[in-house]
Amino acid sequence: MSAPPKPPPLTTVESTETSDSGAQTLTLSVGPQHSGSGHMRLIVEVDGDIIVNVAPDPGYVHRGIEKIIELRNIIKSIPVIERPSIIDASNLNHAWVRSIEEIQGVEVPRRGQYLRTLLNEMNRIMSHLYWLSIYGVFLGHTTMFMWPLGDRELFIDLAEKLTGARITYSYLVPGGVRRDLPPGFAEEAVKRTEYFEKRLKEYDRIFFNNPLFTSRAKGIGVLSREKAIELGCTGPTLRGSGVDADLRKDEPYAAYPELDFEISTRPDGDSFSRAMVHMDEMRESCKMIRQIVKKIPSGPIRRKAPIVLPRGVAYGRVESARGECSFYLIGEGGDKPYRARYITGSYRNMAAIPAVLLGNRLADMPTAWWSIDYWPVEADR
Amino acid sequence: MSAQRTAQEEDPVATLAEGLSIWVGKLSDLVKKVVDTGPIRNVINWARMYSLWPVNITTACCSAEFGAASGARHDLERFGVLPIGSLRQSDLIVIEGTITKKMAKRLRMIYDQMALPRYVIAMGDCAMSGGLFHDSYSIVNGAHEFVPVDVYVPGCPPRPEALEQAIIMLQEKIRRSKVYEQG
Repeated sequence: MSAPPKPPPLTTVESTETSDSGAQTLTLSVGPQHSGSGHMRLIVEVDGDIIVNVAPDPGYVHRGIEKIIELRNIIKSIPVIERPSIIDASNLNHAWVRSIEEIQGVEVPRRGQYLRTLLNEMNRIMSHLYWLSIYGVFLGHTTMFMWPLGDRELFIDLAEKLTGARITYSYLVPGGVRRDLPPGFAEEAVKRTEYFEKRLKEYDRIFFNNPLFTSRAKGIGVLSREKAIELGCTGPTLRGSGVDADLRKDEPYAAYPELDFEISTRPDGDSFSRAMVHMDEMRESCKMIRQIVKKIPSGPIRRKAPIVLPRGVAYGRVESARGECSFYLIGEGGDKPYRARYITGSYRNMAAIPAVLLGNRLADMPTAWWSIDYWPVEADR
Repeated sequence: MSAQRTAQEEDPVATLAEGLSIWVGKLSDLVKKVVDTGPIRNVINWARMYSLWPVNITTACCSAEFGAASGARHDLERFGVLPIGSLRQSDLIVIEGTITKKMAKRLRMIYDQMALPRYVIAMGDCAMSGGLFHDSYSIVNGAHEFVPVDVYVPGCPPRPEALEQAIIMLQEKIRRSKVYEQG
């Protein structure tokens, strides 16, 4: 009689091994089929339920966008550029057209600059609301899933009036924007932002002051100021660690120098701080939208720009919802770029994933991990 | 092993059992016929079409519109669509956008682990034919290359209304189909 065959190992458990201290650790594979991971995989090593090692495994959505851009006309590349972060499309689009305009030497009319800023700030709110709704799912708070997605539709409707599309606009083109403000837009924008600010107070009441959230987020996933700078973090992750860095103030572009707004920073560097930075940014964006529709100058929205990309090098960067998004663009005189290096906020924040997870309990993983606002599609490109 | 088999073939009891199994097979055919033609079929299909639970797998950026469709305004749950974590309880894969070569293997693995009947909705141009990224080096041009697809939803990304329409079309397909031929 031979021994019965061993049962096949479970798919989630990869191996069990003994660490140096003699304690047994377990390697778990979280994702890509997992409600708390999105389109990526985290290889988590746990000792008991303390996380001792984390290795992100990205690349599930790598579509080779840098190569595709080299094969397309610079105008036809705009929809491709937007797809990595479909919920934050216009900010990525802005980085692309800025780098093209820098090579071409085209100056955008002031009304065009204001319209760009308007869509960027609406996009920032939409992106943060999407983030917040997924945060609700991660923490098992279904109300916080439904409310932000419902309120996001307010701004989606506004953007649809302005551009004609729900979330993928292709609104910014070299030299300006595609469409002018529709009639009645300003009143509608003021009405909706004021309503949304009231809703944000209700969010505070039901979620951000709720022990269900605060007890799971305060002091969890701490990323110190020095560590955040060392890892090259950007966007709300960096500002949540107390660093006052935002391209909209540090290197003002478009209509930002003429607007009155504040940069929100929180010193603690835990999950709660990062979440509150997102909330503050939504409030500031509402203020900015109202200022823009009030102050917007009259004039042309677009200046004629050539389709050809002249010989030259440019570096265009903007502050997207998830941090700094930049293009390093090399033109060689044709209508296609020779090379376009594309770096997004999530890509830079990926380095922070192990830093915020190490030493926490496995049950705290969703809170700490999603507070970085890591969008895998944007990081993989 | 081969010696045992020949012994069994000569055994009259085994011959009887073989005959019995043929008879049992006929009964199962009878059951299939009764289920597929009577009101039992309507009841089973009714249960299946209003409890389509999709798997928690997102392949690319159409997940933003899937999220919007599950959210407050469009609320897919009124069609009985509730995203679920466990593969064993799910009936539906909504392939949300571009499928990279790395993800295609995992997607096929997930499809194989799901219990019958199972349905697939290919959402977005990329899941249909590669779409905007058709000439990329790292993607699979279309979901039909590795899983059978029930409904295609065109758009880049499709609006939530289009996804709702796809769900309704899939429900109609289930309503008309026979019980044992699904999945």
